[in-house]
Amino acid sequence: MKIAVLTKAIPSYESSIRVDSSGKWIDESVVNYVVNESDSYALEEALQIKENIGIETEVVVVTLGSEANTSKVIKDGLAKGADRGIFIKNDSVTTDPLSIAKLFSEHLKSENFDLVLSGLQSDDMGAGQTGVLIGEMLNMSTATLAIETQAQPDKIKVKRELESGWFQWVSLPLPASISIQSGINEPRYPSLKGIMGAKRKELNTYDGSPENQSQNFVNLYVPKNEKVTEKIEGDTDTIVSKIMDVLKNKLKVI
Amino acid sequence: MLQFSLLEQIALAVFLLSGVSFFLYHLLLRLKIVLKGKSDFTVNDLPKRILRVFNEVILHKKVASGNRKSAGVLHAFVMYGFIFFGLITVNHFGMAFGLPIFNESIRHTYFLFVGAPWAILCSIGILGLAYRRFVTKPEALGKFSSTSALVSVFIVTLMTTYFIDELHILSGAAEKVNWWIHSGVIGGFLFLIPQSKHMHLVLSPFNIFLRPFEVPNHGAIPIDLEASEEELDNLLLDLSRLSKDQALDIFTCVECGRCTDVCPANRGGGILDPKYHFILDLKDPMLESGDVNVVDKINVEAGWECTTCQACTEVCPVGNHVEKADEIRSFQVLAEGDVPQEYQKLLRNLQETGNTEGASSSAILDELPAYTSDKELVLWLGCFAKHAMDPNFINSIRNFVKILDSAGVSYGVLSNEQCSGDPANKLGDKLTYQLLMDQNVEQLNKVKNVTSMCPHCVVNLQKEYKKYHEIKYEVKHHTQVISELLEEGRIDINPGSLEKVTYHDPCNLSRTLDEVSAPRNAIKAAAPEFFELDENGKETLCCGAGGALWWKKDGGEGRTHLLRAEQVIESKTDTVVTGCNFCYGMMNQGIGPLTPADQEPIKVKDVADIVAENLS
Ligand code: SF4
Ligand code: SF4
Repeated sequence: MKIAVLTKAIPSYESSIRVDSSGKWIDESVVNYVVNESDSYALEEALQIKENIGIETEVVVVTLGSEANTSKVIKDGLAKGADRGIFIKNDSVTTDPLSIAKLFSEHLKSENFDLVLSGLQSDDMGAGQTGVLIGEMLNMSTATLAIETQAQPDKIKVKRELESGWFQWVSLPLPASISIQSGINEPRYPSLKGIMGAKRKELNTYDGSPENQSQNFVNLYVPKNEKVTEKIEGDTDTIVSKIMDVLKNKLKVI
Repeated sequence: MLQFSLLEQIALAVFLLSGVSFFLYHLLLRLKIVLKGKSDFTVNDLPKRILRVFNEVILHKKVASGNRKSAGVLHAFVMYGFIFFGLITVNHFGMAFGLPIFNESIRHTYFLFVGAPWAILCSIGILGLAYRRFVTKPEALGKFSSTSALVSVFIVTLMTTYFIDELHILSGAAEKVNWWIHSGVIGGFLFLIPQSKHMHLVLSPFNIFLRPFEVPNHGAIPIDLEASEEELDNLLLDLSRLSKDQALDIFTCVECGRCTDVCPANRGGGILDPKYHFILDLKDPMLESGDVNVVDKINVEAGWECTTCQACTEVCPVGNHVEKADEIRSFQVLAEGDVPQEYQKLLRNLQETGNTEGASSSAILDELPAYTSDKELVLWLGCFAKHAMDPNFINSIRNFVKILDSAGVSYGVLSNEQCSGDPANKLGDKLTYQLLMDQNVEQLNKVKNVTSMCPHCVVNLQKEYKKYHEIKYEVKHHTQVISELLEEGRIDINPGSLEKVTYHDPCNLSRTLDEVSAPRNAIKAAAPEFFELDENGKETLCCGAGGALWWKKDGGEGRTHLLRAEQVIESKTDTVVTGCNFCYGMMNQGIGPLTPADQEPIKVKDVADIVAENLS
């Protein structure tokens, strides 16, 4: 079985975010890039499938982005036990899921993966579409929000999280693309052997800039952070009319 | 005098020889395993070692300590009985071969002045200990011990037969039978000792003599990322092996359970039981495999619960370095890649940002003057202070610099200070540890004097880094700096208010850095109504944050992190002072919710606070 795990480098929560001089993107030089959380669960799921399925299985970590941001992500995946890596080098800022999915599909097509696992969504953009779109482009069956998987050589059963505590079991024929919910397993930590072995593992690098993107940032700004307190006093009618006025004219939410 | 036939002499010789052979066989078997351990015994500082044996063996200072004073005295009676009976025993067997070492008058004098009194004391001792073990049954002693029962019967029999013999109560054949019973029991010891915990009576003096001075005493695990595959395999194999010192500990353990009695993880309701998890669980695997590669036999979950406080090592009467959290964690992290989730985040923060919180800036670092070479002191902040892990502690930092200012000491902070690596070190991630240490050593080796308010940082900068690097700077804990400034008269303190003040000793400061007086000097100068907590000095109780448990404290159901705060509340003090930022944070977190509604919450202060508030 061949499993691809899509992982993305995202700015860490603790990083201080500021807008760069173009006003259209963040200043990446002050940001600490880390592995997207749900992607690390996807990788762990792939590694567990490999360990338990009983047939020869290869796990490949795949990432897209600039070298500076993503090299850690690939290294981490290989150190944890992925067999090889595919790095789609893209220095431009690509944020729309469709362009991203196209780039991935293009480079993954010839590999004929049986399974593509991705995190449910990236913690920076949060679109949650890449896995599904790739599935569609590569003619795979797809499922999202997996909270448990049972893989067999020819199919995979997936427990999907629905709303308000409900879930659903679906069975998908392979090849399949599945997005994995955080918390599905307990991701491992790279062992010393893994870390040192990672250097000897195969890494294929491809150039992959999108032709034209279907989405661009026009203007990026950090939300204003200010505290304004206004005390509204009077009898009930005055208070209500004053609040209405604030909502309509000041905050413009009605 | 009794006469022995040749047949009797032969029987006795065979009996004694088989006993001695059995004894030696088991002793050597264990010795052989011990010698397979990594890193050699050190015998530096002989006078100190001899003094230690004198204190701990001859004077029984540890055996008879704490709430086991009476049991310790009873034990001393038995031990001295054994020693004084040495000559009597030689004489006893010498007699059978017509070679007594005492003549009748010496023998009688020895009986009157040594033999008889010690036989009585020894009997009192062993009966008292038996009463304690089989009637009072303190929990720490564990389940019924048949060998202990046997030893009690043996010793009482020895003493009785001795008296019968010396007082010539029996004669003829009966006297001979009495003699043989006495001999049989002595021989019995040769069979009983080596296979039971009573081996401690042979090994503990040596174990106490050989015990390393450093607490804790975990070896360095240097990692070379360029190492060949073979070198890496050797390193990983080494992770599963005990040191010689640790291996000897395991065979010396007397199973008294004192380590478990004082263990904060155990007292807080955790599963960790150091007597078993860190010591006895490893004994059978060592004897079975004839080797020391037993680290993987340590209960992993128990290992993660340990606060690495070293209370167990401090209390052990036979000189064991009990704690083995470091060994099992290093094994789990480096060899197995198995790390609890809450710690993975912490370790990644350390790798990526050089601090535990994953922060990219620090307000207090920006507020304080930067270090330049014309300044006397580097003020090493540490992550806790730098990232306001307890926001109130910022005030304590300001108070410490106020003291330095008023004494005219110049100081500055290092803008590129990385985490000392303590949490990584304690969690067994020696790779991340080295990453941080290497960066720190490089900048610290360019300065002379460093001080820090965090004992964890001091331990690493001063003691742990030395295991890997040559260290050219000196580190002092801030309470030591304050105490020195006081002694030199560079600061003056007015005795403060008459409220009750107590001090909580941080484990790293008291047990690891051996510093209990500096903070007290400073506090006592400011607080006339100072009093000690029940468990104080080197016998302190961990606040629960050690061993990187700060980052896990709200995880499990254990109460380890509340025990000390509870004790402080029960002490009815007005203020608790401490000398560690982690203890400070733990006290604040524990005391708030635990204080009964009708009681004023106790104030938590750092030593720097109480001193700065009372500067004249
Ligand atoms: S170091 Fe402290 S927490 Fe760990 S076993 Fe010893 S006493 Fe218990
Ligand atoms: S390790 Fe020491 S304290 Fe613990 S049971 Fe053994 S002898 Fe007692």
